[in-house]
Formats: sequence, structure tokens, C-alpha cells
Amino acid sequence: MNLSLESLRPCLDGAIPAVVATSAQDGTPNVAYASQVHYVDAEHVALSYQFFSKTRENVLAHPYAQVQVVEPGSFRHFRLKLHYMRTETAGPLFEYMKAQLAGIAAQTHMDKVFVLRGADIYRVLDIESVDPHIPPAPPPSDALLSLRRTLDRLGDTTDLSDLADRGLAALTAGFGIRHALLLMLDEAGAALYTLGSLGYPDSGIGAEVKVGEGLIGVAARERIPVRINYRTGDYAYQTAMRATHATEPRIPLPVLANPHSRIAVPLIHGGRLLGVLYAESEHDAFFSHADEDALVVYARHLAALVAQAACEPDDAEPAHDEPATRPTGVPLAVRYFAADHSVFIDNDYLIKGVAGSILWTLLNEHARNGRRDFCNRELRRDPRLPLPDFGDNLETRLILLQRRLAERCPTIALEKTGRGRFRLNIDRPLQLST
Amino acid sequence: MSVQLTVEQTAFLQGPLSMNVGAVGRDGWPCVCRAQGVMVARDRRALTVLLSASRGRAVIDALDAGSGITLVVSRPSTHATLQLKASAATRATTGAAQRACSARCVAAFADELKGLGYGAGLEQALAALLPPDDLVALRFAPEIVFDQTPGPDAGRVLARA
Repeated sequence: MNLSLESLRPCLDGAIPAVVATSAQDGTPNVAYASQVHYVDAEHVALSYQFFSKTRENVLAHPYAQVQVVEPGSFRHFRLKLHYMRTETAGPLFEYMKAQLAGIAAQTHMDKVFVLRGADIYRVLDIESVDPHIPPAPPPSDALLSLRRTLDRLGDTTDLSDLADRGLAALTAGFGIRHALLLMLDEAGAALYTLGSLGYPDSGIGAEVKVGEGLIGVAARERIPVRINYRTGDYAYQTAMRATHATEPRIPLPVLANPHSRIAVPLIHGGRLLGVLYAESEHDAFFSHADEDALVVYARHLAALVAQAACEPDDAEPAHDEPATRPTGVPLAVRYFAADHSVFIDNDYLIKGVAGSILWTLLNEHARNGRRDFCNRELRRDPRLPLPDFGDNLETRLILLQRRLAERCPTIALEKTGRGRFRLNIDRPLQLST
Repeated sequence: MSVQLTVEQTAFLQGPLSMNVGAVGRDGWPCVCRAQGVMVARDRRALTVLLSASRGRAVIDALDAGSGITLVVSRPSTHATLQLKASAATRATTGAAQRACSARCVAAFADELKGLGYGAGLEQALAALLPPDDLVALRFAPEIVFDQTPGPDAGRVLARA
């Protein structure tokens, strides 16, 4: 096999339909269109199994097939000799193909027809170039160079807040990405919350996505990158995420209404899922296979920096609190609901969960004894806060709270006064109630 | 016995189509090649499908060795797809009519794809990919015709000899 399967990855994105030839046991040939020929690794591809077709009947009886794929741009054809190995009906590969098939189906107006029932795994035994005289398609943009530019722009930082902003902004310089989100996994591992966003009218800071929900949730649950190259209603957040229920306040996820390309990449460090990096575009096929590779590396780098930032020691505690001036004006009504730790300011939803609990604790401390200066260490030890052992979650929750306050309630502000130290600034009297 | 294609099927076969021919080699390996033209006999009981000799060597060898043939034709804009099978195909002569047919089919296919947004330069690319200068003509009388349009009904038999 002179050609590598990696070199054929542009042919395996569903842009141009592939055909698969099989043989019945009596030697009768069959040719059918394959919705999806998915690159698994250097030696394997997976074909989507949607219906019990003649192709499937044939390969179960006689496990050999030939697939013809086409390179977009050049229309060069390649033929792959395949040996059927097995079918997967769950797990990371299945979930990736299911998401990608949704994009392919929508692009070809087959949304209602294409439903993945299994991922048929084949070993690639041979690759034939059918048109060796035809020049190849122009190469896609150099993803390694994009990655390097992104890392150059990111620079060195051990500050989580800075990392969230620069980590997203750097994607524009490197990959031309204009819409992206950085989401962190919550303490229970059940949901992700938005810590940073790039390129949306509303920042969506604090918006949550359940693990398993939509593209971001699938990437988190399966711990795999998931890329969709075409516009599809599947895996969208519009309906679910834009709705705000009175009984369950939510911050809408600020995603594009009709993204044509989407990618979600998990942030994994030391075997632990920390969050998800999500990017989207208004253009079809914006993210290549190579971009996916590069963004996986970038997400791992971000995850390492997040973990490192969490390990940085806090600054020494100051000798004493600076005295606060007593604010004047109309009192701000702050209401807390212990059931979900949600906080409402003048009846408007602000935040819930751990961040809500932190805010409520700080405001009560301030009301009780006028304190303004706090440190992370005391919060970690505070039995009133539902915090796990991981140090990074407290810091990210504080950043989330700080950003949410800056957007929705600038009357209350968290000002960073050092590593692991911050000050509560309040411009109006507070009226706390539960 | 062969199937007589309907008037509608015949018209469909003369439209802008993506065409692929499959066969099974003597070693049992299935093989496939893009076809670049199809002609329906006047009595609608036989077809002549045109392949490039160099691009379709494995399929042509398999058919020469007695393999059954399958032809899958699909209209890109609607995904309407037919599969026609026969237990054998024979070589037919090629000449100016076949070359003209191939050029016409490739141009129609390119035009269809262009309408679907497959990009500029498509006609030239496909014309370079599928030139009408080393054609092999394969004639067969379909014994069974399937509706192969994607969906749960794909594989439905439309006609059987």
C-alpha cells in the first residue's frame, strides 16, 4: 500500500459521496452509495450502517468490499480494498460518526433518512490511485502553522482569567476562528459552564451545557473531539438553550443560529476532563481533519495551563482589611434560593450553583462584619460551600462570578487583589433575603 | 429473459447522472469503477455502459472473466437512484457515437454538480478525469432493477425478469 490512509482524509469528510462494492455469496456484485466513510486510524475506516441493506447482508456473509472515494477540489478517485471486522453500536467512534452523519445528512437534505445504527469497522488492505495523472487538490491551510501562531499569541500566563480570554482570542490569529467558547466541567461532572466566549453579542458567561447534550456535551461525555462540517439542526442548542424557564433559570448559550461548521474538543489533563473548547463557523467545511488534530493539541495545552494555574500558591494574606466606606442609595434586593443556590438581584436571575453559593456567603460575611477582603483558602475550607477537592474549580467559579457580576450587576464587583485574593466592592446598600 | 425498462426509467437513464459499474473478480473481490456514459437500446431491454479502459481495468477484467454486472445510477440533485443487474455483460464496439455519448453524459453530470455548488472549474476537471478517448463499451440486458434511492425502501425490486 504505497498511499497512506492519512493522505486520503480530505476524501473522508462526506463532501462527495463514496460508493461501496460488495459481493453476495453467489458472486453477484452490488454497488451502493456510502453516506459516510470515516477515518478511524492509519489502517481502518468505518462505514455508517443506517439500514439493513444489501451491502450489509453481503459483508456479513462475505467480508470484503471495495470503496471508491473522491478528493474534493481535484475529483481524483481512490479505491480502497476493505475487510469487514466488526460493528460498534455505542462508544466514542459511534458517537462521533452519529454527529458527523447528522451534518452530512442535512447537507444532502436527508435529515429524516439518515440515522446511524452502527459503525461498521473495516481494515484497509490496499489503496489504489485511479487518476495518478491528475494533480492533487490545493493543500488545505497548514494546521501546524495555525497551531504555532495560536500558541505564540497565547503566550505564557498562569492567570486563569487571562488564560480564558487569551486562549480564545488566540484562535482568531491562528485558525481564523471568530466564534468560540471555553467551558469548564462542574464539580459534579454533570454539566459544563461557560467561562469565556469569543465573537458573540452576548457573552453567555455562566451558560451551562449538560454532559451528553449537543455537540459540546457529546465531546465531554465521550472525551473525543467531534466535528460537523455542514449545517444541521441535530446537536443544535437553539431550542433547548435559548429557552429560559421561569422555574429553572438558565443563561442562554450564545451560539450561532445556523452554524455550518462546528467542532468541540475536550480539555483533558492527567486523565481528567477539565472542560471543552468549542468553535463554530458560518462556512461549510471550515475545520479540516488537520485542524481537528491541531485543536486537540491546543486543547491539551490549555488544559495543562489550567491545571498549572490551579496549583500556583496563593499570595500571603494581608495584615488587615481596609475599612470600607458605607454605600448609600436605594438598597439592592438580593434573594437567594438554597435549593439550587440561585441568586436574584432585583428579581433578575444572576447565577446559581457553586458561584451563587460563593456570592451569597461573601455578601453575608460583608453584611455581618463589613468584610471586603477574602482569600481562596478560606473559601476552600468553608463548610457552607459545595466545593470538591479540586482547587481549579474554585478559581474558575470565582472568575465566572466576577464576569457575570460585571455584565449583569456592576454594583457588586469582585476585584482581584493578588493570587488567591480578592475584594468585594459594593456601591449600594444590600437587602438580603431568602 | 430480460427486463423491459419503463419509459420513465429510460428517460431517467438519459439524465444527468453519477454512474458506477460493479463486478466481482475471479478472486472473489468486488470492484467498482465510475462509468462515463450509458445508452439504452431501442427496445429498452439492453443497455450499453461506457467505461474508461485504464480506470476500469479490474471491472472490465472481471466482466471478461464472466462476472455478473451491476450498474448504479444516481441523480445528484434528487438522490433518485436505480441499480440494474445482469448475470453477464459483453463487450460492444466503440466509435464516434459512444464518444459523443460519453462527452454528453460527463458534461451533463458536471452541469448538475455545478448547480449544487461543487465549485468552479468542475467541467474542466471532470472532462480531464473522464476523457472519451479510451472507452470500453459493455452491453448487458438487465435482469433485475432496484430502487436504490437512500432510505428505508432502498433495495426495493422495481422489475424482475
